[in-house]
Amino acid sequence: MEGLIRGKTVGEKTQRYQNRIEILQGTLDLLILQTLQWGPQHGYGISVAIRNRSGELLQVDTGSLYPALHRLEKQKWIKAEWRISENKQRAKFYQLTAAGKKQLTRERSKWSQLSDAIAGVLQPEE
Amino acid sequence: MSFWRHRRREADLEEEVRSHLEMAARERAERGEKEEEAKRAARREFGNVELVKEVTRDRWGRRWLENLYEDARFGLRVLGKSPGFTAVAILTLAIGIGANTAIFSLLDGLELRNLPVPHPEQLVRFGAHIPGNDYAALSLPMFQELSRGQKVFSGTFAWWPDIVFDAEIDGSLARADVWGVDNNFYRELGAVPEVGRLFDSEDENLSANAAAQVAVLSYGFWQSRYGGAADVIRKTLKIDGIPFTIIGVTRKGFTGLSAYMEMDVTLPLPARQLFGGEADMQKYLQRRAARWLQAAGRLRPGVTLEQARAQLGSLWPEIRQEMVPPDKTFADLGRFRDLQLKVESGAIVLAISGLVLLVACVNLANLMLARAASRSHEMAVRAALGAGRARIVRQMLTESVMLSVAGTLAGWVFAHWASHGISDFILGEIYSVPAALNLAPDWRILGFAAGMAILMGVLFGLAPAWRATQEDPNVALQHGSRTLGKGTSRLGRRLIVTQVALSLVLLMGSGLFVRTLKKLRDANPGFRTHSLLDVSLHPKPNGYKDLDLVNYYRQLTDRIADVPGVESSGMMRAIFGNVLEWTERIRITGSDAEGLEADFEMATPGFFETAGITLLQGRKFEWQDDDHAPGVAIVSQNFAQKLFRNDNAIGRRLDVMNARNWRNLKIIGVVSNASLYDIRKAQTPTVYLPSTQYKDFMGWPELLVQTSLPPAAIADALRRTVESQGREYVFSIKTVRQNIDRSILQERVTAMLSAFFGALALLLAAIGLYGLMAYAVTQRTREIGIRMALGAKRSSVLRIVLREVIVLVGTGVGIGLPCAFAATRLIDHMLYGVSPNDPVTVACVVGALLAVGVLAAYLPARRAMRIDPMVALRCE
Repeated sequence: MEGLIRGKTVGEKTQRYQNRIEILQGTLDLLILQTLQWGPQHGYGISVAIRNRSGELLQVDTGSLYPALHRLEKQKWIKAEWRISENKQRAKFYQLTAAGKKQLTRERSKWSQLSDAIAGVLQPEE
Repeated sequence: MSFWRHRRREADLEEEVRSHLEMAARERAERGEKEEEAKRAARREFGNVELVKEVTRDRWGRRWLENLYEDARFGLRVLGKSPGFTAVAILTLAIGIGANTAIFSLLDGLELRNLPVPHPEQLVRFGAHIPGNDYAALSLPMFQELSRGQKVFSGTFAWWPDIVFDAEIDGSLARADVWGVDNNFYRELGAVPEVGRLFDSEDENLSANAAAQVAVLSYGFWQSRYGGAADVIRKTLKIDGIPFTIIGVTRKGFTGLSAYMEMDVTLPLPARQLFGGEADMQKYLQRRAARWLQAAGRLRPGVTLEQARAQLGSLWPEIRQEMVPPDKTFADLGRFRDLQLKVESGAIVLAISGLVLLVACVNLANLMLARAASRSHEMAVRAALGAGRARIVRQMLTESVMLSVAGTLAGWVFAHWASHGISDFILGEIYSVPAALNLAPDWRILGFAAGMAILMGVLFGLAPAWRATQEDPNVALQHGSRTLGKGTSRLGRRLIVTQVALSLVLLMGSGLFVRTLKKLRDANPGFRTHSLLDVSLHPKPNGYKDLDLVNYYRQLTDRIADVPGVESSGMMRAIFGNVLEWTERIRITGSDAEGLEADFEMATPGFFETAGITLLQGRKFEWQDDDHAPGVAIVSQNFAQKLFRNDNAIGRRLDVMNARNWRNLKIIGVVSNASLYDIRKAQTPTVYLPSTQYKDFMGWPELLVQTSLPPAAIADALRRTVESQGREYVFSIKTVRQNIDRSILQERVTAMLSAFFGALALLLAAIGLYGLMAYAVTQRTREIGIRMALGAKRSSVLRIVLREVIVLVGTGVGIGLPCAFAATRLIDHMLYGVSPNDPVTVACVVGALLAVGVLAAYLPARRAMRIDPMVALRCE
């Protein structure tokens, strides 16, 4: 639903602007859950992690990130907790729950099926 | 509360966003950006903070709660800013809802509410009555025959209705509503004793001549007179001096046969014979034609009222044959309900009060419309600032509902007050004892009325808001209120016209009822209605024993005539203005004609002078007309004309058809016409017999006293005089006027209520017109300013405003009048002396509406005249 996200908008380099990739509908949940698998993280941390791991290709819009986080929390796939970050700042850290881990497995297999299917379609016919 | 959780969540989100921005800025700063620059960039990258928050909040669900709180708070502020509008809207609602709830509750309490007994719908009352007379009762033999032969009831029971007696409890006197009941009564009504036991077959042996002297008390009587003491059983209570042993008390809430009358003390059925009245009470009660019993039965499962009527009806001819007196038909079988006011009248009052609710709703709609129109600018601003349509509509909805809730609460208070006021008035007139009536405002009715009001408020509050949000905010903003167009919206005008038309229908109705009452008050019944007292006498136990009643009456009348202030006095049997009229069928002796139905009265010498009925021919009754003398009669002029045309009536002879012994009565006098019992009737043919010739009818007399003194000044002297004789005591002293007023109670109640509602409708119409005109003038300030700048005179401005009102009221009248004429035809039968299209009423009503309209327009018009053209042109 809200997973469809615009790329970056203003003030970035033209190069990046052209390389932007829209995050496919439904994949944001997967990205968030996957990011949280490496440990609890706050909203900003999650967006930075996704950007860095995608080689700056995937940019998560805050207008999608925060609604998604709050929705996942409501679905009890992640839980939140106020903690002090490395640089001594109070931040809301999200953490995977047991249900969230299961959900991640489901989402991953769905994703690999999807990418296999797309790859199949894209393969030149022999 | 979730409200607090919500607040914390809100703070959390705020901090989460702030921490995000701070972390982003810090990282940028660490990368070497300037602090200020970093902050700004972080913000830019984040996007619209408020928007992000908004869409995030949407994921929480439960947003409506927060919105509701916000809407309500805002609504309160908005409503508080226009206290005039708020007050008028709430008042309108309170009147509409309150009046309806009060009337429904009252009627419900009086007749619609089920009796506090199991399955009241199975109870069917039966009794014989004379056509045209509502009084239905059975003689003991009739009841026994019917009970034996019937197959439709699981049980039947009988009682004699309440008589107010003196009850002596431990030496102190009190009044008590006393009923006599048979031994099935309590069982069939499903009553259980609180203490002791209720009647069983030992207490009542209808064929035995002696009555067991036992009594059952009601819970209320037990509480108030004995303080609920458990040792009340086997105590003695004296009813009219006769001792009865208390055997039990009924359970709380049991009111027997009526939802609103207490049965203070119940006695076994045959106890009736212990109290005087007739010369030989015991024999009277066994008489086959003496109808003194009320009867009812409980339908067997599956039996309908129609089947019961048919089965009992099939038994009736034979029983009637045995019981002889012809001409009594068996028709009065009705569902068991205690109808004190005729349902007919109730229905009209209901219709009227429903109309008030309608007028109130129209008024409210108008208010909401005018308000919505005046807020279209505000709505446009809010839409331009990004408020969604749903949000605006929701805001309006909240405000409407808040108004409706406030109005309903106020209406509830009003209903409470009004239904008690009305019932005190009505019941105070019918019973001298306070009535135990359950008047809790009916929740269903209140809910319905409130629902209607809310619906109206919502509909007319929402529609303009919806329309406003569909307009392009830019256009709406530019328009502002700078238009010169017609000030008043077309829908608003239509509503005002509707309101005027509805009010007119209502006012026509109330006008006709009020005129009916006036005519009835002024009607000449043919007897004296002023300076005339009706003293009801009550024989003491054994008071008439071994007494020559004729001599005694003569002596009593003389003594009364000697009381200072008394001009004349006489006695009669039936009370003037009594709802239970006494009629008999009468024919010329020897003819086999159908006979003539005539009002009937028995009177002593002195009666005609006292009553102010003048002798036209022949002579009046004399004390010598006793049971040794030949039977005589006096007839009214119209009776003589009907039966004898132009022949002389004096000396002719009459038979009273239903009485075996009242035959061959010689007419000795002709008197002026009168309507003794029902003043609504044109003076009816009347026949008078001398009481002195019918000793059986001499008990329970009414003493008629003509005096110029106020009743209070002479009551004591009359009471002393009667009681000094030691035979009777004074049961009540009333003016004949009071009796008549009581007999036209229905008209009085209808007139009072409908006048009340008419006034409300007029008030609502005035409020509506004022609101609309005030608004129109404000809207047209600029136009009026231009007109005046161009040289228009103040008077012409006044004319513009007034013309608008007159056109509106005129249109309303034009539509309302035909409706009113159609509606008043329905109440034709309730009117007296006025036609349903009574021109006086029409003129008054139309005049009142126009006056109200002009008055309502005058204040805004005056303001319009004072407009300074320069200010008007510069304003906005």
